[in-house]
Amino acid sequence: MKAAALLAPPAITDADFRKFAEYFYRKTGIHFDESKRYFVDKRLIERIESTGAENFRAWFVALRFEADGAEMQHLVNIMTVNETYFFRESYQFDCLVNNMLDEIAARKHPGSRIRIWSVPSSTGEEPFSIAIYLLERWAKIEQYDVEILSSDIDTTVLKAAQRGIYSQRSIAHLPAPYLKKYFTAHGDNEWRISRDLVDSVEFSRVNLSDPADTRRFRDIDVIFCRNLLIYFDDLSRRVAAEAMFDSMSPGGFMCLGHSESMSRMSSLYTVRRFPDAMVYQKPLEA
Amino acid sequence: MHRILVIDDAATVRMYHRKILGDAGWHTDEALNGVEALEHVHAQEDDAVFDLYVVDVNMPRMDGYSFVRELRKLDARHQAPVVMVSTEAKSQDAAAAFDAGANCYLVKPAQPLALVLSAALLLGDRQAALKAASGVKS
Amino acid sequence: MGLKKLADAPALRLIEGREHERDLPGLIAQLSEADAAVRRWAARDLAALPGAVPALAARLSDEPDPSVRSALFNSLARLGGDSVVTSLLPLLRSEDPGLRNGAIEVLSGLPDAVAPHIEALLHDADSDVRIFTVNLLGDLRHARVADWLAQVLLNDPAVNVVGSALEVLAEVGTPDSLPALRSAAQRFSDDAFIVFAIDFATERIGKS
Repeated sequence: MKAAALLAPPAITDADFRKFAEYFYRKTGIHFDESKRYFVDKRLIERIESTGAENFRAWFVALRFEADGAEMQHLVNIMTVNETYFFRESYQFDCLVNNMLDEIAARKHPGSRIRIWSVPSSTGEEPFSIAIYLLERWAKIEQYDVEILSSDIDTTVLKAAQRGIYSQRSIAHLPAPYLKKYFTAHGDNEWRISRDLVDSVEFSRVNLSDPADTRRFRDIDVIFCRNLLIYFDDLSRRVAAEAMFDSMSPGGFMCLGHSESMSRMSSLYTVRRFPDAMVYQKPLEA
Repeated sequence: MHRILVIDDAATVRMYHRKILGDAGWHTDEALNGVEALEHVHAQEDDAVFDLYVVDVNMPRMDGYSFVRELRKLDARHQAPVVMVSTEAKSQDAAAAFDAGANCYLVKPAQPLALVLSAALLLGDRQAALKAASGVKS
Repeated sequence: MGLKKLADAPALRLIEGREHERDLPGLIAQLSEADAAVRRWAARDLAALPGAVPALAARLSDEPDPSVRSALFNSLARLGGDSVVTSLLPLLRSEDPGLRNGAIEVLSGLPDAVAPHIEALLHDADSDVRIFTVNLLGDLRHARVADWLAQVLLNDPAVNVVGSALEVLAEVGTPDSLPALRSAAQRFSDDAFIVFAIDFATERIGKS
């Protein structure tokens, strides 16, 4: 029987850190500087040990050269924060009601339809956050017919979204009046969202890489695609960005996660800066 | 303090140009293609807009000419001189650069003195121009 | 008005009947339709049909719409294989940076199919083609990348080709690359950028 050898974890040198940081920035646009050493080193060590690599060098060669590119997906996963909760990155919702929707509405007759697509829906926090923002913070909500579509590849989370039950952690960023207005207490420490809000979102199972799925989405005015594409491989990312572009109306807006950038995905979109946020736009037809 | 945006897909070139320009006394930021560069441009607050752009011609996603054309469509506050840097020495490429809206054209690898002098002249930074022209090494 | 309730009308309409043909000849014909949306959908649907490679590649040079071009490239990338590589290699000589970059992006994702062509490309008479090939190596997942780059450092006469190779070697170089780096340092000893780039690559490669 082999005695378990207690090996010291691999060391991450300054040079290793810089090599990782440059590669990661090149591929994702995300910067890690010296102030993030602890955060990064810990996770690099985890990946090195997880893959059974001898040291950072060997792990990096695998990351850079392995045919399936799976390690990059693991790396992105571990280096980014994947939590979902109500009003996450709410500055983009501010931008929606303060600028984006007004621009879109200005091009439409009152009474016409505005479509918002939230993907991934995950367990519903994002589409329901959008719904609450529209009802509470968009002055023109009564003048237009707003449809909220929300999709995910995972039917488990879709079911959870339609069930509409949330933890304390999930609602922690909601202003108290909204919690009171749109949720009822559920059990000891959970909250159930109102059925009206659940009914106002059309959920669907969608694989963004599958044209058969994405072709159903037409005339979309705003897309929220936050913290999803960064987990895709290079080609799938381009395919998804292009499929979403195609689903949008001219002049429609796209919001990515705050550390994501179209610069690593597609040149089809125009950059637009608003007071609350920087977003992307499908050009209006010439 | 003048701010320069250095745009090139090669990290080594960005580092090299930033060192040269930084040693001449200017603040620099970087981007690795035209799309990222436009994002940086839009992200700048009014008191921190760029005073000069040093742009590589050949970049993926959005090349240098496209970046300059898009830049020239933006508000006045984002407009600043552009130095294009290219591996090409052909006259039609310099012509293309000027047509896109660039002010100056250098052939890679850019000689440090040529880069600093071009930047200093376009920034109107007399002190930096004199210092560079007098051959004072940083 | 306000938030539309699900019960009112489903927003997502399943497209049952097809206005346009889905077979190969039909889709290929649609690549030349006047409507960009039709061309885009045909380009996307053709990703499922390996026989589509020649038509997809041929359309690239004539296609003015960037989003259709994007769909053409993505479909070629999904199809992959030798025929995609041979049909895209000529675009390395294109004057259109969009076509060139799109081709490089697809090619860099097809390591096994592109590998047999690399040596010839690195000996192309046109230094731009050699630079673009080095750019392609920057994302290629192939065991020979560092070797190919070392050959460039040892033999290529053009300073910008060597400069591009140094950029990639800083990321993928190994201690085996050091002799080639030293050779390039001697050949271009009077070029400040090359000297800088060699120092940087050497530092990145480090000891074994």
